[in-house]
Amino acid sequence: MNAIPPAGGFALAVEVSGLSRTFTPGRGVRRKRADVLALDGVDLTVPRGEVHGLLGPNGAGKTTLCKILSTILLPTSGTVRVCGLDVVTDVRGVRARIGIVFGGDRGLYTRLTARQNLSFWAALSGLSGRGSAARVDAVLDRVGLRDRADDRVEEYSRGMKQRLHLARALVHEPTLLLLDEPTTGMDPVAARDFRTLVGEVSGSGCTVLLTTHDMDEAEALCSRVTLIDNGRILTTDRPQALGEWISRYERVEAEGVPSAVADRLEELEGVGSLQRSPGGRIRVQTTAQGASAVVIRTLLDAGVTTMSVNRPTLEEVYLHVIGDRGMAVGR
Amino acid sequence: MKRIAYILRIVRHSAANGAADFRATYTWKSWTFGWLARMLTQVVFFVVAGRALGATHTQHQLLVSNAVTACVIETMAVVSTSARERRDGTLPLLVAAPPSMIWVFFGRGTQHVVSGTLTSVVALLALGPLYGVSWSWSSALLAVPAVILTALANYCLGLALSGLVLSHTSLRGVAANAGYIAMMAVCGVQVPVAFWPLPVQVVAYGLPLTYGIRAVQALSAGQSVATAAAWACGTVLAGCLWFLLAAAAFRRVGERGRRSGSIEFSI
Amino acid sequence: MTPRTPGPVLRRTAVTVTAAARLQWALIRRSPGDVQVLVTIPLLAIVFLAMADPSQHPQTAARAALAPPLIGLWSMALVVAGEMISQDRAWGTLEPVIAAPAGLVLVVFGRIAAVVVTGLAAFAETWLVAKVLFGLTITVAHPGWFALTLAASVVAMAGTASVMSAVFVLARSARTYQNTLSYPFYLLGGVVLPASQLPEWLRPLTRVVFLSWASDLLRDSLRDAPVPDAWQRVAVILGLGLIGSAAGAWLLHRVTIRVRRLGTLGRA
Repeated sequence: MNAIPPAGGFALAVEVSGLSRTFTPGRGVRRKRADVLALDGVDLTVPRGEVHGLLGPNGAGKTTLCKILSTILLPTSGTVRVCGLDVVTDVRGVRARIGIVFGGDRGLYTRLTARQNLSFWAALSGLSGRGSAARVDAVLDRVGLRDRADDRVEEYSRGMKQRLHLARALVHEPTLLLLDEPTTGMDPVAARDFRTLVGEVSGSGCTVLLTTHDMDEAEALCSRVTLIDNGRILTTDRPQALGEWISRYERVEAEGVPSAVADRLEELEGVGSLQRSPGGRIRVQTTAQGASAVVIRTLLDAGVTTMSVNRPTLEEVYLHVIGDRGMAVGR
Repeated sequence: MKRIAYILRIVRHSAANGAADFRATYTWKSWTFGWLARMLTQVVFFVVAGRALGATHTQHQLLVSNAVTACVIETMAVVSTSARERRDGTLPLLVAAPPSMIWVFFGRGTQHVVSGTLTSVVALLALGPLYGVSWSWSSALLAVPAVILTALANYCLGLALSGLVLSHTSLRGVAANAGYIAMMAVCGVQVPVAFWPLPVQVVAYGLPLTYGIRAVQALSAGQSVATAAAWACGTVLAGCLWFLLAAAAFRRVGERGRRSGSIEFSI
Repeated sequence: MTPRTPGPVLRRTAVTVTAAARLQWALIRRSPGDVQVLVTIPLLAIVFLAMADPSQHPQTAARAALAPPLIGLWSMALVVAGEMISQDRAWGTLEPVIAAPAGLVLVVFGRIAAVVVTGLAAFAETWLVAKVLFGLTITVAHPGWFALTLAASVVAMAGTASVMSAVFVLARSARTYQNTLSYPFYLLGGVVLPASQLPEWLRPLTRVVFLSWASDLLRDSLRDAPVPDAWQRVAVILGLGLIGSAAGAWLLHRVTIRVRRLGTLGRA
């Protein structure tokens, strides 16, 4: 990770240390409730050019971190640097270097065309005249909206709007691209297309910080993934590690399983737990790579054909990660 | 120079956005028979009411003051237009963009200045003669820039108000309405400013409408151009004051939002 | 099934209207947007009272004090009529309301009436401003007729505004013209100037606007002199209100048919 040269005077696109942020909920009369700690002593570095995933369930603090990096929220304590610039003291410098994309349906002027939207944001970044027009055309090409550039955005599909969002964030050639849950609310096909697009963009050297609660998304796009929960960083690792966790902690469910077969399954190596319900229904949790394959084979050999294999939820992976670390660190 | 060009570009692009909003709301027909007709009736209503209630203003004065007020009512609509930035979800992006937000917001509602000016001018020139205002060519021509200045200056006041209610967008309608009705009360629209106790008069002279009415009344009554120009200067000064307040209000929106976390990425 | 008798029908109507009104009051408590006009009433009162200058002309000022609440009531009725059905569509509650046996018209009527009744507070606001800021005590010489006129006006306003609620849905562009229904209506409704003092060619038009009868009757009930033809005039207000309600019912019926045929109001 240290191989990237410190071009332009900084090697780290994101440099967060000891960052905390508290919120005071409610106002006036209801102000009695306790403060909420959204980020708690976060340390994070993202080298230039990396696509970094920030993975965590809803409410983990991902968006809070993204908002602080994009200068629309102040840290309570700690330091945060973007491209070597402090987000509190060098606001203008940071703003000129970041591009923001968030999920959902908003953030665009729907009564304007895509081209008008982009020209507007280009003007805000100081682009003008032919330079601006060329840049707008270039990003429209890049996100594949050139043919629909002069249609009003209100006529766009959800997926097209999100591509325009990305174009808007890229129009001023930012050094750091912040993607906050960018595929929220998109249908699976549109989400896949959008990920492909992000993959292409990141190939061109722009640093990307992507927040998501979708493990597949993190796995598909990122060169490193940071797990965050309850405002704390759990671990930072390669996405392959994530893949391993996912395939290790699978869940096999089956019906009509004779109790003798269930007993045999319980004895298998890599089977963590086995729950039984009436009607021969069972749910097996695996804890080792390849264990689910053995479970399935055993079931098939016993003539059981009604079964399903499910990947663990993010929460389940979390429990395992925390559990593993807890054992490793604690004892 | 480069900075001025940069600002003008932002204002121009934002104004294009406002114009698109306007085109989505009105056609020429619905503007003329919906908005303009309503505003002209409102002017007539208050002239008639003033006469019926024995107001000290003459019919002539009432017509002019209410006609000029039309552009003030319209420019207060910028409060709603500004609130759209929050509803459209573009506010966080504007806060995180390099330039000061005031320029974006200044451009965003300029359609109201144009439409308001047109409304006032039509009211002055078309209704005026029906209520005893006899325009000379020169005074009619000079009335147009006086109205433009009033509309622009009050637009700045509207911007300041929208900066204040940007965090409470549900208040946008009531803030704009309360604002213009209050001005209708104290700025010399229906009763002379002198009708009010001194503190109220002081407030009135901080408001662009007070000067705008006097400028156009001076022109319509055939007073010297210098008199009208002096009142128009008052309009400009008041407008500048409100522009500064508006800039401060928008800066405050950004800064308070950064502290409290009230600026959300999406719903 | 027992045959329908007038009794149960009337009772059902009353029950529906009351339930709708209760719903609207609950909504107002949660988000007072529909009655935010009440915030501007004191300012409007200042404008009109200042015009009449109560220290010089207390009688005229008392009459001027009728304008702000009447303007406020009508604009509240218009706002709620305009918003109601589109809001119901946004919330997805329109279809169930239409499917319910009570029918859309009574619900619309009840909800607008609730807003207008709440809006009667505008009279108190205006009179308070008159007393506190201008030292003017407004006395109503015939409180009975005054109250009866207001009651009839509430009915007529709700009925007339229900027409608007349907028109706003059926004609897409109508919302743009919503504003147009304000000042022209106040002028024809004689809220400041009695209809009899308007230009001759306008007068026939004012006779079919319930508000002009209501304004005249309210003005007369402030004065010491006996109120002429009071019963007949209340009846006219109610009659015009009834015509409005009938038109509203017919139009809302068309809305209902459209929803049933298309399953939704679609783009309307």
